This record gives sequence, structure tokens and C-alpha cells, in this order.
Amino acid sequence: MNVEYINPFINSTIKALTTMCSLKPQRGKPFLRGSVPTKSDISGTIGVAGEAMGSVTVNFPQEVALKMVENMLGLQIDEINDDVKDAVGEIANMVAGGAKGELSEKGYGFKIALPVVCVGKSHYTAYPKDVPCVVIPFILPEGEFTVEVALKINGKN
Amino acid sequence: MKVIVIDDSSTMRRIIKNTLNRLGFNDIIEAEHGLDALTKLDGVDLIFTDWNMPEMDGLTFVKSVRGSNSYKNIPIIMVTTEAAKEDIVEAIKSGVNNYVVKPFTPEILKSKIDSVLSTL
Repeated sequence: MNVEYINPFINSTIKALTTMCSLKPQRGKPFLRGSVPTKSDISGTIGVAGEAMGSVTVNFPQEVALKMVENMLGLQIDEINDDVKDAVGEIANMVAGGAKGELSEKGYGFKIALPVVCVGKSHYTAYPKDVPCVVIPFILPEGEFTVEVALKINGKN
Repeated sequence: MKVIVIDDSSTMRRIIKNTLNRLGFNDIIEAEHGLDALTKLDGVDLIFTDWNMPEMDGLTFVKSVRGSNSYKNIPIIMVTTEAAKEDIVEAIKSGVNNYVVKPFTPEILKSKIDSVLSTL
């Protein structure tokens, strides 16, 4: 997968968390997920269809998700509730939507679906075997989170 | 001035509502999607709507409002993650007065409101 397709997701993730949550994540080095899944406590997935096909998933440990919502809404929350689920879905939306804007300028148009949010201690997302999944790690004082980009661009991996 | 905020995300409705409160808007109602909003437009002076929503999406909602005798002149600001230029063009062609891409700052929202209000 070309870095051209990954950078827009890095940019949109940093922009979403900086603007909406007043958090400044440091990005780590992206890597191919391979056979070791990325585990999280809450994740938001957006399906993508068009010249790019697949999905984009944001994965958060509970501590990061709670901090994010605290900053977004000014609420003190102790556990993952409906507010946290909704906020994670909206962050996934902003990550995919922001990247869509950048990618469409490079000539790759696609549509994004409504977010699906999954909750569960140390769960992970399974992807089709023929779609490579690039994991982008981000670091915050509260912990690490990841964005997984599993896309085929114009039918290519 | 009565405002309606339409978004399937309760988080976004709350953020937009809080921002509007700080800007002096106090008469604010909410709807979860376009279909829900169409039943709540009596007396509304300004509409904020998301694009991607279940039941009725924002674009279909905007076209319905613009095709209605009673509500066709209400200014509409679309607040959405759809950031591609062609999406913005499509929304404007459908009758949206202004467009805010999520994520946004309170300052951006204010400038778009000012811009819409200045044309009334």
C-alpha cells in the first residue's frame, strides 16, 4: 500500500483529536498488521466503497476513549456508556471523512457508510485475507490508540 | 431565533448545541435524522443538518425543505464529515446556504452563521 493513501488518515486523525478533543496525539510508525491483531476496548469502523474499497477502524483503550469524551463534552465518565460509543463513532466518521476529502483531490473518490461501534475488553477486528491492513499507532499520555486502514485502491492492494 | 440541529450522533448535537448556546442561541430543538426533522420545522429560523444519517440523509432532507412551500426559505447550514470538493458542490446545488466540515472549531461555526445571516 502506497504511503499516498495512508497520510490522509494520519492527518485526519490528528485533526479530529486536536480540534474536537483538545488532544495532541504523537504518531508512531505505521506497520502491516499481519497475523497479530490490534486489540482494543472500543472501536469504530467505517465501511468505504468506490475507487477505494474496504474499511477504516479506530481502536481505543478505555482510558483514551474516556479522556476523549471528557474533553469533547466536558463530562466526567467512569465507564464506556452510550455517550462514549456515540463519540467513538463520530471520531471514526471524522477520520474517514477527512481522509476522503484529501484522497478525492488525488483522484480517488469513494463513499463512506455510517459508523459501526464495537465494545469489548481486548477485542479485535478481522479483515478479508486479500486486503492488507496498515496499522497507524498514535500516542497520548493516557495510552496508545490505533487507526487501521484496510483498503483496496482501484482493485489493487 | 429558533434553531434546529439535525444529526444522528448525540455527541455532535450536544457539541453544536453548546456552541450555539455560547453564541447566544437559546431556542434550540434537535432531530436525529431528516425524517424526524421534517415534522419539527414549524417556527424554525435556521437549520443545521448532518449529511450521513439513517432514515433520511441530509441531502434528501435539504431537497425536501427546498421543495416545500412552507419551509423553502429557511437558511440551511450543513455540518458534515463529507470533506470532498464534489460533495460540497453537490450540497450547495441542492440548496444548502453554507457548509461546515467536521471537525470544526466554534470560530468556524460562528463565521458560517454570520455569513448566512448577512445574506438575509
